[in-house]
Order: sequence, then structure tokens, then C-alpha cells
Amino acid sequence: MSDIASRVKAIIVDKLGVDENEVTMEASFTNDLGADSLDTVELIMEFEKEFDIQIPDDQAENISTVGQAIEYIEKAVKG
Amino acid sequence: MAFNLLKGKKGIIFGALDSNSIAWKVAERAFEEGAKFTLTNAPVAMRMGEIQKLAEKTGSEIIPADATSVEDLENLFAKSVEILGGPVDFVLHSVGMSVNVRKGRPYTDLNYDWLAKGWDVSAVSFHKVLQTAWKLDAIAEWGSVVALTYIAAQRTFPDYSDMAENKAYLESIARSFGYHYGIRKKVRINTISQSPTRTTAGSGVKGFDAFIDYAEKMSPLGNATADDCANYCVALFSDLMRRVTMQNLYNDGGFSSMGVSELVMKHFGTD
Repeated sequence: MSDIASRVKAIIVDKLGVDENEVTMEASFTNDLGADSLDTVELIMEFEKEFDIQIPDDQAENISTVGQAIEYIEKAVKG
Repeated sequence: MAFNLLKGKKGIIFGALDSNSIAWKVAERAFEEGAKFTLTNAPVAMRMGEIQKLAEKTGSEIIPADATSVEDLENLFAKSVEILGGPVDFVLHSVGMSVNVRKGRPYTDLNYDWLAKGWDVSAVSFHKVLQTAWKLDAIAEWGSVVALTYIAAQRTFPDYSDMAENKAYLESIARSFGYHYGIRKKVRINTISQSPTRTTAGSGVKGFDAFIDYAEKMSPLGNATADDCANYCVALFSDLMRRVTMQNLYNDGGFSSMGVSELVMKHFGTD
């Protein structure tokens, strides 16, 4: 697992209070990990802080799974 | 209809997320009644909601603050006093959240870290707001402070879970601080216990729609809406209710005094 992926997963475990095993690439924040609307925004803001990036709201709307978050952040950090 | 009840008054309004929020309606009504105020919410709630629209509509500035952070609250009061040109006359605390409710945790298996977070956000934040204002002397004489609460603080509503304790704690702070602020500055501190209201926060409670229908049928006047609550807040912020303090005030269409109503009985058949 990449460094970014493990940091993303750690944030998710901490913020959503879920078990590490549940945080698979396919897991949906709302359907599988029990996130509500406030959690979702909190996660995006945590990612921004951790990786020093900006995720515009229209892009954030497309991030609904763990894998999508990691993919987006990996691109944003390299870009 | 506007009566200029808040003409020349300055205030701080916490907790406007979107146009469904009670705080949003209070801001609109206070503006209509001639008040000037600043708006505040947690950074995450600001990003989630549409507070910018409300600020434009009411000519208000937004000062982000986490209501559990004394440092943020000090900044909020200092900036508000500066922007508004003096100490504030009213404050609305419309802030509450239970992690246990949000995560669907049963009341008999609460997570205590989440419980602590919930009471900090929902109740202790009110003490922090008041203590910060007290130390900065940021509320004017005869000022009026209102926090929003719910009858689950007195009666048991199982799905309200640990928010019931949070609201009881909040109401107690209103009484305790109401004494001190009353003596020192004639500042009034009350809580409004509102009918269940369809807001983003309210909809987090399980089975909320059915519950709203039940309360509607139980209340002789029907449920108090967010607009009704805004009107009540404006009245309490005005000079017309100067000696109402340390009270938990029901704005609930009569629900709190009911045992059962005919409309509710109809659901259980007739003899």
C-alpha cells in the first residue's frame, strides 16, 4: 500500500470510528462505512489538511469510495 | 409583518446551516425587525451548508467558530463587537450534535468518547459562549441569550438517545448562568423547547417523520414551525420580555401539557 493510501485509511478509521478491515478500496463512505453528510464533509476537509491540497466541492461530490479518495489525492499531490 | 422590535440591536447567531435551519429563520426575522448581527458556524458546517447566501441576504459578516473552542469564541466575540460597534444585545445558540445518534449506537451501548464529544458540542459550548462573553464583557445590559432545546430533557423519547442528557445539561446551564448574568448585567438567559422540526440536524433522528406526525396530532395547535420559533426568539430578544429569564419555554403547540389527544386515540380504534 502506498504511503498516501495508508494515511487516507488512517484518517477514515479515526474519523468514522470503523475497523481497519472494513476500509477496503471499494467501500462506500455512506453505504458501507456509516458516514452521514457531516462526516463526508469532515473527511474531505481532513484530506485537504493532511495533504495540503484543495478539493473543490464539485470534485468532492465524485468521491464516494475509499479508492476514489486515494486516486484523487494521489493525482492532486503529484499534480 | 415587521414591528421594528429589534431596531438598533446587535447580535450573534450560531448554527445557520441552510434555509431549513431554525437559526436561518431567526436571522431572517431579526433582520426584518431591524437587527444587525454576525453569523457563525463550525467550519465544516459552513462548508456543508449555504451560510454565505444568508450573509448576503442580511448584510451580515460570517465569523467561523468551533463552539467548543474558547479561543474561537474569544475571536468571535471580539470581532463581533468590533464589526457591530459595541457589545451585543442578543445571542442565539442553535448548536447540537450527538455522535452516538449519528452512528445509530443504542442507548444501552453508548460510546463514551462520542458521548463526551456530544455534550461538549451540545451543552458545554453554551457555557463556553456565556463565559467568554462574560470575561470580555461582550453582552450589553438587558441583553437576551436564547438556546434551543427539546422536551426529551424532561420526558423520555428513546430515539433521542444521549441528546436527552445534553439538552438537560444545556437547560441547567441557562438557569445557572442566568443567575450570575442577571445579577451582574440584567442579561436574560432562556431556552426554547421547540416542537420537532424538520431540519438537517433533526432528520438525523431515527423515525423522525413519523414522530413529527405524532407530535402534530398530539398538539392542540399543531407543531410549532421553524418560523414560529424565529418569531418567539425575536420576541425574547426584544425589550418586551425584560423579566423573563432562567426559563425553559415551550414553543410546542401545547404538546408538553398533553396526556393524549383524540387524533392520537383514533389510531388505536374505538370501543
